[in-house]
Amino acid sequence: MGNRMPVCTQLVQSGRYGKLMAIAVPTQDGISLDALYEDPFPIFRQMSEKSPVTWVPSTNLNLVTGFEEIMEIERNSSIYTSTNPTSLMNQVLGRSLMRKDGEPHALERKAIEPSFRPGVVKNHWSPIFAAIADQLITGFEKDGSTDLFQNFAAPMASLSLIEMLGFKDVAWQDIACWSQSLMDAMSNYGGSGDARQRGRDASAAIDAAIDAVVPIYQITPNPSIISSMLHAESAQSIEQIRSNVKVIIGGGLNEPRDSILTATYGLLSNPQQQAKAIESGALWGAVFEEAIRWVAPICMYPRRVDSDVVLGGVQLREGDQLGVCVAAANRDPSRFEQPDEFNIFRKKQSHLGFGAGPHFCAGTWVARQMVGAIAVPQLFARLKDLRLDEDKKAKFGGWVFRGPLNLPVQWTV
Amino acid sequence: MPRIIFVHPDGRRQEVEAGLGKSVMETALDQGVEGIIAECNGSAACATCHAYFDESSLDLLPPISEHEEDMLDFAASQRLQGSRLSCQITVTDAMEGMCIQLPESQ
Repeated sequence: MGNRMPVCTQLVQSGRYGKLMAIAVPTQDGISLDALYEDPFPIFRQMSEKSPVTWVPSTNLNLVTGFEEIMEIERNSSIYTSTNPTSLMNQVLGRSLMRKDGEPHALERKAIEPSFRPGVVKNHWSPIFAAIADQLITGFEKDGSTDLFQNFAAPMASLSLIEMLGFKDVAWQDIACWSQSLMDAMSNYGGSGDARQRGRDASAAIDAAIDAVVPIYQITPNPSIISSMLHAESAQSIEQIRSNVKVIIGGGLNEPRDSILTATYGLLSNPQQQAKAIESGALWGAVFEEAIRWVAPICMYPRRVDSDVVLGGVQLREGDQLGVCVAAANRDPSRFEQPDEFNIFRKKQSHLGFGAGPHFCAGTWVARQMVGAIAVPQLFARLKDLRLDEDKKAKFGGWVFRGPLNLPVQWTV
Repeated sequence: MPRIIFVHPDGRRQEVEAGLGKSVMETALDQGVEGIIAECNGSAACATCHAYFDESSLDLLPPISEHEEDMLDFAASQRLQGSRLSCQITVTDAMEGMCIQLPESQ
């Protein structure tokens, strides 16, 4: 950990920032949401060099950027809570497990676990994911060029999610649209009536899709998420099922999509690493982990401070709203050497791409298989001399969620 | 408080005092035992608190749940007879002097 002292939870010396007493949260003015969307990493770096927690007025949040400080937050969910009475997420989705702590969270999490276990993922879901990837690549294989966002990563993530939830007769474009509508409504801090209405419409469509399959899985259980919820030891109400399915749709689609694209972009921009990954065949796991370290698909998520506490030498007060910037922590130079570089050969270190603590990503093992073991390797195996399109540049965007907005590629037919 | 000995992959032994009622994972983190990562902080979701318990002491431990069973198969280091997720093991007086081997990687 270099010269870094353990994070303090009391008023004690904090070595990294050289303070003997806890300081007030410093303010960083002049940061626009547009600049964060464009590229948050230089801004995160600039802030974290001064303090692990910074008040950024445009975001209305205290942004936490240090790796150790975020681990400290996730190890103490009674102080740094996920519950939030003013949460837009609750208004849009109902109160999902994402906004609960302790036992209520644990019981709902346990209800979905059987669908996400690594063995179930490998034995049940992997062949399904492989068939989806195969079919999608076959669809454009002879074209010699495509945009992997629209024609591969988005349908790959959407079709896989439809299967995992257990939905029937739902088109991939529908679930992708629902996901986007829910995300827009959840980040509708400006109070747009249009975004609110689209969120409600998506919500109603999802309720209908759930209602259509509940009677089937009540009689015939299978490994799908809705079936797992219906047969959980701790009985799940229809309200719980609805809001947790929505949180999975609202938050479970863009991450595999974006990590497929980021991993592919990372390799295509680093031909030596690309060549070694293809040659070895054993590096795909490292490719995936490095991709989500480099550009964490969920860059930032909220927590609320429940009682006065000192974090990394900074005094926080009860009620403070935190923006936990895992994407910044994943590039914390005190933990990762040359953190801005995509390097699949870097020393194996745990990262925060999946978050940490009780809310550690439930889909971790799904993503490792779908993205790391299937989608990305299949692309490189099937498309000869895969390369970035020189005329159309890929572009990244986002600071709450982040990933490539397009990925135009070419290959030799 | 019972003493537990964590044995590192290089053979180094690290003896710690363990708090009754805490998990072995929490004990390791509290005492700065490197080699237990515990990304999910005890939710049995990440398999990064894998440790090898002495085969003769397995009877002292709580039974393995279906979920832990599945997770252990996917731990970064090989699963052996004594493999457990240390977040699922609560410290008891019966653990006095117990040796717990840490894996090569998590």
